[in-house]
Amino acid sequence: MSTASDFRIPVRRGSIDWSKPVFMALVAFLAVLVLLPLSWLVYFAVTDQAGKVTFANFVAMATDPTLRRPFILAIGMSLSVGALSCIIATPLAWFVARTDMPGRSFVRIFVTASFVTPPFLGAIAWEILAAPNSGILNVVYRSLFDLEPYDHIVDIYTLPGLVFAISCYTFPYVFTLVSNALDRVPSDLEEASAIQGASLYTTLRRVTIPLVLPAMLAGSLIAILQALTMFGSPAILALPAGFHVITTKIWSLFQYPAKPNLAAAISMPLLMFTILLLWTQRSILGRRGYTTLGAKSGVPRLTELGHWRWAAWAFTALVLLLTVVLPYLALIQTALTRTVAEPLSLASFTLDHVRFVFFEFSATSLAMRNTFLLGLMTATVGTGLALVTAYIVSRNVVKGGWMLGYLATIPVAIPGIVLGVGLFLAYSNSILPLYGTIWILLIAFLTIEMPAAYQQLSSAFRSVHVELEEASRILGATRMETLRTITAPILRSNVIATWCFVFIGTIRELSAMILLTTADTKLVSVIIYDLNESGDLGAISVLGLMLLAISFVIITIANRLPLFGGPKLTSLRG
Amino acid sequence: MSFLELSGLSKRFGPLTVVDDVSLSVERGHVVCLLGPSGCGKTTTLRLIAGFTTPDAGEIRIDGKVISSKGSSVPPELRQMSMIFQSYALWPHMTVRENVAYGLQLRKLPKEKIVSLVDDILTTTQLAPLAERYPGELSGGQQQRVSLARALVVEPQTLLLDEPLSNLDSNLREEMRFEIRRLHDAYRYTTIYVTHDQSEAMTTADVIVIMNKGHIEQVGSPEDIYERPASEFVARFMGGANILAGQVLDERTVDCGGLKLKCANAGHAAGSSVSVSIRQHTIAVTTQRPTDEMNWAAGTVVRSVYLGAHRDYLIELASGERIRAVTSTSNPVENGQAVWAHLPPEFCRILTR
Repeated sequence: MSTASDFRIPVRRGSIDWSKPVFMALVAFLAVLVLLPLSWLVYFAVTDQAGKVTFANFVAMATDPTLRRPFILAIGMSLSVGALSCIIATPLAWFVARTDMPGRSFVRIFVTASFVTPPFLGAIAWEILAAPNSGILNVVYRSLFDLEPYDHIVDIYTLPGLVFAISCYTFPYVFTLVSNALDRVPSDLEEASAIQGASLYTTLRRVTIPLVLPAMLAGSLIAILQALTMFGSPAILALPAGFHVITTKIWSLFQYPAKPNLAAAISMPLLMFTILLLWTQRSILGRRGYTTLGAKSGVPRLTELGHWRWAAWAFTALVLLLTVVLPYLALIQTALTRTVAEPLSLASFTLDHVRFVFFEFSATSLAMRNTFLLGLMTATVGTGLALVTAYIVSRNVVKGGWMLGYLATIPVAIPGIVLGVGLFLAYSNSILPLYGTIWILLIAFLTIEMPAAYQQLSSAFRSVHVELEEASRILGATRMETLRTITAPILRSNVIATWCFVFIGTIRELSAMILLTTADTKLVSVIIYDLNESGDLGAISVLGLMLLAISFVIITIANRLPLFGGPKLTSLRG
Repeated sequence: MSFLELSGLSKRFGPLTVVDDVSLSVERGHVVCLLGPSGCGKTTTLRLIAGFTTPDAGEIRIDGKVISSKGSSVPPELRQMSMIFQSYALWPHMTVRENVAYGLQLRKLPKEKIVSLVDDILTTTQLAPLAERYPGELSGGQQQRVSLARALVVEPQTLLLDEPLSNLDSNLREEMRFEIRRLHDAYRYTTIYVTHDQSEAMTTADVIVIMNKGHIEQVGSPEDIYERPASEFVARFMGGANILAGQVLDERTVDCGGLKLKCANAGHAAGSSVSVSIRQHTIAVTTQRPTDEMNWAAGTVVRSVYLGAHRDYLIELASGERIRAVTSTSNPVENGQAVWAHLPPEFCRILTR
């Protein structure tokens, strides 16, 4: 019998517990990351150019019609986007999830494609297609009916045009939520209604739709939120049309002569709207427990549409044609022909734009280097920070760890352009002169990507049984050894997936960057915006297609990984 | 001095006191079972011993040294303990051999030494042919043995088991009970075993600790607990007993709604409200009117079930209360027939309510 003194196996000796210092450092870092720009924003909003406390900015906002109008237009535009997204996405989701419509499995691929497309690129594609003079659709229309040069059937430079161009890239939010909800509606609920004598239509109206209503509402709210906070599409389509929305107005206040105080003040209501929308969306999804009810109730029943399936198919085809196929074709054609209106053929084919972008235009190589460098840095640092944060929060490592979770989630409620204003104000002064360096961009990207990365990894942690870690601890491993040898390897595919999504999110970000880049720190997304100002659509198409190709490759890799939790595409933002 | 001592241990989660002033001494080399219904605080007690949580009051000592007290606790990795988890907690990204070798690698043993120690334990637990498999490729019983091997290879002073058999089917469970006891007898580590299954506790433990609502109801040998329950809760939890409410008449006699029972134990004041427990299988049933009244209950059979080895009667007494009696299969009694049940004094126990 062995006693404590004659163990053959040596006993481990104590080592330093790093959890407290790491925790404190993270809290400090995240607090600076999130709270510093917000405090500067508030400070600027309530002061004037000279730094004296004043409410003049808010008074101006209420009285000056050039400031009031953008609010009204933006709210109208966002609500329309929410409604249109819901109208497009709900039938589509039902066809795909619950009917025998032909070609269902392809729809999800196309919707993913629409998801991945940066909205500003989509807006440019629609510019190519539906500008009143040079738009391909209008050119074709004129040549078909032999009309005058200024006749057109569609004009994208209008408020309805803008609503349409944005909805093309927000409807996937509604689609994803509703089709997931439909997947979870147990078919016995519908069968129970059918057995009571209800017709297909009655069952749909009385049972199925009420069950997915929360998902429809929540999805529409995200679409509204996206539209409200989006900078790229309105800047591309609303400015030529001669009106402003909130985001473009904020941007214009930074053009000469800059009025940062007013811009900060205008940002406040936008921030409030965002918080309100997110809060509403969460309470809708959180309260209705029945949206996730009966997940194990077998395969959902497919409704047989009969002859209507071709009508459904036509609707689906039209939606996908307008949102994905036509814009992509427009980009490809513009990238490979000399002039936009020329049809793509052997004679008009040219690699001029490709050569120009990659070899002649000096700004591109710098922008590409910046973009990929920042993508790599943000993805690596951001995933690492999110991993440690999610670990500390989900495993209750230290008292008060939940605070970190909140800090990491706050940025989700800060619209990109507002964050841009805050960061500009925080880091362009003499205390922290980071403006003009790529570090301010790194800070911006880290802030923007933190919520999604944290959310993904903390749901991954929830899928790993805490006993796996405890088993390692009791056998003699410290916290850090356990994180390194057990937790991180088990979560490897989740970590890689998070890395990929952060990377994609970074290379397509425009809203926050538009105020933060300078000539030396240009990014591909900002270059695309600049080129649009100068009307160089061929070069834009080449750059845009390159971004898309990279995104698709990375998404394909990430989706091939065997995941425990499964990544969520909703983590992308425009 | 005992090897492991808990004194005045308490743990609260928010407003809920999960472990309430628990004191316990465990001798070196004993198997102690913490037994109780779910939510009784047994698992939290085990996690306090392991060091995964810190107590709100009280302390834990090993060999006289304090390892846990309010606000300070030796981290789990320095406690020289091993643990077997309900989920087995095998690392899915490591083979059986890597799982088992992990603890030894942390202790920086030379490679050859690790290989030979791992080979030894894999042979003992009959896992040698499965060494290169991943946990996902093993059956429940095999996973359980890997978890056992992984815990034992580091030669812990203390082995903690958290419902280790609850995920196994019943045949395997029986086999593993004896396996756990056999390995314990071979290595003589101190074992704390958490379970909600009475028979599991009976077959493995030297000492059983019955817990209820965060406190200890009774500590004793399996025989103590089963034969001489200290409270109504223990009697009910161990099962197989009828519990009758009554008033103490004199030292050893209790009046249960007209039925007078002479009991085996004393110690309750006359007039106090108590319960009397009697095991179902100690009750005799007859259709003949007895000559005596003491410890005889008159009633009617309301249900009779033939179970092969014995017969299970449900008898409604004159007072309206129902008792169960498990008897031999001879002399069957029909439903609705009047019977007399004999509750032998030597098996009737007076319990505090």
